Amino acid sequence: MRRVALVRLAWAVPILLGVSLVAFVLMRALPGDFAQAMAGTAAGVTPEFLDSIRADLGLNQPLWQQYFTWLGHALQGDLGTSFVTKRPVTGELFSRLLVTAELTLIAAVMAMLIGVTTGLVSARLRGRADWIIRGFNGLVVAVPNFVVATLIVLLAGLYLPSLGIFNYTPFATDPLANIGSMLLPALSLGLGVSVTISENTRAAVLEVSSQDYVMVAQAKGLRKRTILRNYLVKNALTPVITVTGLQVAALLGGSILIETIFTIPGMGQFLFDSVTSRDYPVVQGVVLITATVVVLVNVLVDIAYARVDARVSYE
Amino acid sequence: MNAPLLQVEALTAQFTSRGQISQVVKGIAFEIDSGQSVGFVGESGCGKSVTARAVMRLAPESSSVQVGGSIRFDGTDLLTLQESAMREIRGRRIAMVFQDPMTSLNPVMTIGAQVDDMIGKHMALSRKNTRQRTVELLDLVGIRDPARRANDYPHQFSGGMRQRVLIAMAVSCEPDLLIADEPTTALDVTVQAQILRLLQRLRRELGMALMLITHDFGVIAGMVERVYVMYDGEIVESGGVDELFANPQHSYTRALLDAVPRIESAGRKS
Amino acid sequence: MSESSSARITLTSEQETAAAPAAAPASGPTKRRRRRSGGRGLLILGLVMLTVMTVVTVCGSWIAPYDPTKTSAESLSGPSSAHWLGTDSIGRDVLSRLIIGGRTTLLIALIAVALAVAAGLLLGLLSGYLGGVVDQIVMRALDVVFAFPVFLLAIAVVAALGPTVPNLILTIAIVYTPIMARVVRGPVLSVKRLDHVEAARSIGIREVTIVRRHVLPMVISPVLVETSLTLSHTIFTVTALSFLGLGPPPPDPNWGGMLSEARQFMEIAPLTVIGPAAAIVFATLTFIVLANGLREMLDVAGRS
Repeated sequence: MRRVALVRLAWAVPILLGVSLVAFVLMRALPGDFAQAMAGTAAGVTPEFLDSIRADLGLNQPLWQQYFTWLGHALQGDLGTSFVTKRPVTGELFSRLLVTAELTLIAAVMAMLIGVTTGLVSARLRGRADWIIRGFNGLVVAVPNFVVATLIVLLAGLYLPSLGIFNYTPFATDPLANIGSMLLPALSLGLGVSVTISENTRAAVLEVSSQDYVMVAQAKGLRKRTILRNYLVKNALTPVITVTGLQVAALLGGSILIETIFTIPGMGQFLFDSVTSRDYPVVQGVVLITATVVVLVNVLVDIAYARVDARVSYE
Repeated sequence: MNAPLLQVEALTAQFTSRGQISQVVKGIAFEIDSGQSVGFVGESGCGKSVTARAVMRLAPESSSVQVGGSIRFDGTDLLTLQESAMREIRGRRIAMVFQDPMTSLNPVMTIGAQVDDMIGKHMALSRKNTRQRTVELLDLVGIRDPARRANDYPHQFSGGMRQRVLIAMAVSCEPDLLIADEPTTALDVTVQAQILRLLQRLRRELGMALMLITHDFGVIAGMVERVYVMYDGEIVESGGVDELFANPQHSYTRALLDAVPRIESAGRKS
Repeated sequence: MSESSSARITLTSEQETAAAPAAAPASGPTKRRRRRSGGRGLLILGLVMLTVMTVVTVCGSWIAPYDPTKTSAESLSGPSSAHWLGTDSIGRDVLSRLIIGGRTTLLIALIAVALAVAAGLLLGLLSGYLGGVVDQIVMRALDVVFAFPVFLLAIAVVAALGPTVPNLILTIAIVYTPIMARVVRGPVLSVKRLDHVEAARSIGIREVTIVRRHVLPMVISPVLVETSLTLSHTIFTVTALSFLGLGPPPPDPNWGGMLSEARQFMEIAPLTVIGPAAAIVFATLTFIVLANGLREMLDVAGRS
């Protein structure tokens, strides 16, 4: 099993390198040039002026040289300096990364709570509850997260106007208010994912229920609650957790939209602004970090799954 | 002797799956005395496994089973008991060993924990004593280095070892009746003999009654005193094991006996 | 990625469908028959929905009661006999904007996905059939692409290239090609190993013919299902991009943009939000229902 882990990690390295390459190329290869974007159409803008900007920022060096310089720095934790704010990218991103991470984490937790509960209920109760939950799932999955967010804001505005929880409060200022302000955004983000988790939980529980060892547990005279906890849920949960891990990419992608709607100062919002202003270092940094997180989580999920698979599969 | 330990009369079982009703057990009657070992033989689908599960009132999750008739265990009709009372009987007074050792153990619990939870349910022992008993049981069924192995997971055991663990679990609370549903079918021939010998030994040491279910007449020989032959949900013949072997009345019984391969040289198939 | 896990659980990504098969524990033929009839129902429903959408979109100019860009003085009015869904903040008729707005969205989605399918088919066939080093390189490259959240890529490319309709089409085609390639590759790999394909090759039948006659039929079913699924995701991506302002430029109405603009006054005129929201959900649902119907009918295994 340790070998599997090492192999997975080893494969992650070239993938991450590829990721860094794409992150870099994405900005540079596309038309539109920073110097131009920054200088705009002001009067005293001469070609020499633009050139001096480029020289300042190292943009006149050959592309491959720029890539390696950037990569070298990145590996040491230095993601360059923002063209726009002139501050180190790493620092700017770090605080925002924490915010996005918090949002994503809460969303994932909510998705799991909702998904596992509905999936479990659906699988154990069957009949009408099953139809209702699956019907609800089928509908919810067709509603994009930003539509959910907008509708939530609309409903809250119409029926609960006193709830001023849309204003983001930094964690440092007031932890409780901070979490409170994150709840609705996290719900919008996590709802779509909860459907996937719900369906997978349901399928897993149904499959486990028909397993021999559940009947053996009954034959031992164990209580239904004990069987549910140690035999059903424990077995059904492991595939569910791995599925959740694989949803990280979806959550991170969706966070961009949610952050915009609820004006949460996370990485997504930062990305959006930086792309339009051609702030290469920032965009590269965001893309690199996001993709790295996704790759690492996928590797962890693969390793965890291999470990469980060993226990569950036949020799 | 007094009343039989298990007395079954007019037992019927029907499956209802998506509107289709199929009668799997069509009215059978049998008895098992205390300490007696009884065999149920028949091809797959004849209803013998369903009968065994009916005695323990176990139902598969996917379809609904309706059981009729009476199953008197030590005087009480099991079919009219409350579920909570039935749970007290399962494992403690009637225990079962299932067919496929590869799928009968919970893959995410250590085998020690799986034996523990059964002991814990029926016997009020401290945790330390529960584990001690578990280790003794594992030793009893022939698991080497039982204390350490109790912390291993099922996938770390071979099929034969897993079946031993399941047997250990089944006898852990010293039940009055042990039902073994095709306990050796999924095992290698060499291991089969060992498992059967183990069952025989435990039965004698613990004084349990044994209900052995199999499709293989060869397994029955040397294990049971009385045999019931089942076909298509009915008992077609019954009798002492020696008479049945010598003088099978029903054509089906004869067919089953003929199916047992005999070694030409002296001695019977184990 | 974990290919071994596809048999046990249905792994899904992003805005995914409820893909778990109904747990009816009946044996072989009965189970298949049951799935077929359920699938047929879904398929019919999906096709009906698709027809409705197509008719409304194509006949849009004739059906729409007003010019979608025409402003008027009655802003933010509720539903009335003149304006069935009311008007937006500068007096434009919501219903007309919805009808016309759908056109661009659906057009972008259809063309982009068609391109993605074509490119993905080619890539998947090449990679799967040639195998060996080519396959490994392509798979690793795809793994790299899969590390990026789809939306992240889409934003970066569109914002940089500029939000015009051709750019949107191109972006989406690029972003969804990898998943098509992967879906195609699976069946190609398994068909390659079949005995009768080996036999055909040994007799000397040309590779192209083999591909055409043996491989393609196997590939069509999963590709059909995946295409429908991807169409539903594309609707999401296009509307999301236009929500952020990166969609088709004004004055063309589009659903995402309508939703975004409506946020300002939504408590006064909730229909300006509910209208586009319902349209987006309907379009997405159409393709999801189609995908599920196709999947049950064609008995396609869950996505890997």
